[in-house]
Amino acid sequence: MEFEAVIGLEIHVELNCRTKMFCDCPNRPGDDPNVNTCPICLWFPGAVPRFSQEALEKASLLCLGLGATLQPKSAFDQKVYYYPDLPKGYQLSQAHLPLSRGGGIEIAGEDGNPRMLRIHHIHMEEDVAKLVHEMEGRTPISLVDFNRAGAPLVEIVTEPDFRTPYDAMEFVKALRTQVRYVGSSECSMENGSMRVDANISVRPRGTTQMNTKVEVKNMNSVRHVGDAIAHEISRQSAAVQAGEAVTLHTRLWDPDKKVTVPMRGKFEGPCVPDPAVPAIELSPEWIETLRSRLPEMPAARAERFVSQHGLTGEEASFLSSDPELAVFFEAVTGEGIAPRTAMHWLTTQLLPAVRERRQELSASPVTPARFASLLKMLSRDEINANAAREVLGHLFDTGESPEAVVQARGFRQVSDPGALDALIDKVLDGNPAAVADFRGGQGKAMGFLIGQVMQASGGKANPKILRELLAGKLGAKP
Amino acid sequence: MDSIFVYRHAGPAAPTAGPLQGIRVAIQSDISAAGWPTDAGSGALADFSALEDATVVQRLRNAGAFLCGSTRASEFGFGLQGSAAGEALRRKDADAELLLDIAGEGRLAAARAAVCGFKPSYGLVSRFGLVGLIPSMESCAVLSDRIGTIRDILRAVAGPDERDFSLPDEEPPDFSAGGVDPRKTTLGILSDTHGLLSDAQEALFRDAVGGLKKAGFPVREVSLPDSALFLLVHRIAGSVEASSCTGRYDSVRYGRRSPGARNWNDMYLSSRGAAFGPLLKSYLLQGAFFQFERYGAYEDACRIRARLAADMQRLTGEADFLVLPATAAAAAPASLADLYAAFALTAFANVTGQPVLYLPPAGDAAAGFQLTGPRRSDARLLALGEHLLNLRRGGNA
Repeated sequence: MEFEAVIGLEIHVELNCRTKMFCDCPNRPGDDPNVNTCPICLWFPGAVPRFSQEALEKASLLCLGLGATLQPKSAFDQKVYYYPDLPKGYQLSQAHLPLSRGGGIEIAGEDGNPRMLRIHHIHMEEDVAKLVHEMEGRTPISLVDFNRAGAPLVEIVTEPDFRTPYDAMEFVKALRTQVRYVGSSECSMENGSMRVDANISVRPRGTTQMNTKVEVKNMNSVRHVGDAIAHEISRQSAAVQAGEAVTLHTRLWDPDKKVTVPMRGKFEGPCVPDPAVPAIELSPEWIETLRSRLPEMPAARAERFVSQHGLTGEEASFLSSDPELAVFFEAVTGEGIAPRTAMHWLTTQLLPAVRERRQELSASPVTPARFASLLKMLSRDEINANAAREVLGHLFDTGESPEAVVQARGFRQVSDPGALDALIDKVLDGNPAAVADFRGGQGKAMGFLIGQVMQASGGKANPKILRELLAGKLGAKP
Repeated sequence: MDSIFVYRHAGPAAPTAGPLQGIRVAIQSDISAAGWPTDAGSGALADFSALEDATVVQRLRNAGAFLCGSTRASEFGFGLQGSAAGEALRRKDADAELLLDIAGEGRLAAARAAVCGFKPSYGLVSRFGLVGLIPSMESCAVLSDRIGTIRDILRAVAGPDERDFSLPDEEPPDFSAGGVDPRKTTLGILSDTHGLLSDAQEALFRDAVGGLKKAGFPVREVSLPDSALFLLVHRIAGSVEASSCTGRYDSVRYGRRSPGARNWNDMYLSSRGAAFGPLLKSYLLQGAFFQFERYGAYEDACRIRARLAADMQRLTGEADFLVLPATAAAAAPASLADLYAAFALTAFANVTGQPVLYLPPAGDAAAGFQLTGPRRSDARLLALGEHLLNLRRGGNA
């Protein structure tokens, strides 16, 4: 029997707000344990949660960026469970009235056709504390760090529209791009600011039933998401084939062994409306004001890059996949650099160089202005491509302008025919065999001779002028 | 230790100036005062001291009141078993007392001490620092022999609080003493509460209503056929809310941990199990039952609650204020049913959030009663109470 998978994702995104969701404590979970706490996020008796306006704005922007419809009224509920990472016994979450409904992301399907993956709803919730398990001598101890307790999260719950690991990976990548665009989160799976859980079931291909699903957690990268889903699909398919029943439970992805292992039975009671946090009512005016703050989203920007800058669709979507990259690109073209030149040098030279040095583009010493100055000298034939690559390397190590680097280190291209003539004559004198070869009809000898002159010039000869002069001297057409 | 105070505050060297200068206010141990024991009458908070003043406490201090101590509370202020509420007034150790009114405790304690008891509109007084049980139903009640003192306290504590966003951002009512014209103030009597009183109580209540008529107030009967649902709604919705909200009292970070647990799960279970008293535990279990096994009934209760609030609001079109009887609480309820029976005539105001004032009997052979009005009619309600008390006391309310 052939199976197909039915997959839905639940994605937690940690909002990059300055404070926690219900108090003024700094939202910096990585600080020394338990320094960012107060009676509210420790849930001391008498504390009253105060919902943060910034969390509402960042969460709402994220919803709008994903094409979701903000609900006129949403509210917090108490999601009851007892575990030491949640000593107050309930998590504030929006179970009954979520912040937004609908929305979705269009990905390029495996067959190349666009494919819409729909979002069911997006709700806000607070994060819980972090448990640290250690050994004190030979005694295992567990410590609780409340820095993360009350940190602002949104959870994006998709429709079960996904069929393959590819769908899930593409969705997660596109989601990350879009959320970074609106600036609500860094969305790093590696450091935990984005956590993806997958609900997976299988059914005979061609049927429409919804079978018992299994939840898979603990994927720390996009690749793990794909691997874990692929593994779970084959595990369930094999189980069904063997006549075993799939039971509702949660499994953890083990990236080392590349298997999913069962974790715990699901305990979920209905949530009770929280009586302390007032319902959130959004006016159409508020929503429109917020919408006007939305940046140009990646799909729209890619389209504009094609029409305005003449890039190919592939180049345009690559550049617009990362807001920093897109902004950098347009800052360079804004300095008068031809878009194709900017695109080419950015992707083939600057990005690899930045990556090699383990830097971020935005924090690199090669600013758009310095990069544009370099490309300007290239396009004015003041330096050649070889020299430009070398100058770029120097720009990472010095604060000097590209012009100063070119001047100080003698990278300026030799275009003066007099100077080149002397070099050419010397090379022709020294390589009579090659000259004879060329005259005897072997055209490739020309390439050899150009290489020799270029070498003699220390790589600085203007290749175009050099070729013209050499051809003249050999009596050939350039 | 004092039989009614869990904490007594030594007097200040000099009184603080302000509108409440010289007024001695006792609070219950479920209202936070920085550094004072705040156990809310529960083992779950044994030895816990508040970190900060509740907003009501802070505002009382700022207005010059003298916080004279904290009295014994029933567990989380629910019911009056074990509670010393009202005792400090009876012993003249305080001029006013503050306590949480969750199902009618403020009014029943006032009845017990034969003083006035006022439960303000829900949302008028900040809940910051109140260690409560059912946040959507409880308000901070004020007890005093004098309505003027209650009014001065309300004027000091009411209004928006940046530490409690659940309060609407509305200006508090004008609490200056207002004149009441009896001929223009219609009082309504609920015809549907009769079965809840004994014949003798019924007769006393009729006498009290007769007194109101004699004072010149038009009195008319109004009907709320569903009034029997108030108690059920309170019990179902309240217990679910209590069960969920008390999760934070884990007996681990405060209160007492049970010794000898093998792992954290056991430690949580046994500590929480040991922390709560039997009556509260059965209430929380009932709430957990409705939450996890009968969620539909809980949703029904919430829907009915909204309808009852609308019904009560509608009655204010037929009468300016309602007059309701009040009975005393059972001293030691043995079961939840006993406990709730005592609230049969008071729980309505906690369900709807409307303000309500208990006036003590005019004499030995009379009955006390409750006066209630629409939400945020607090100032007018106090003015009415003051008018009635002045008639009795010759202008010394």
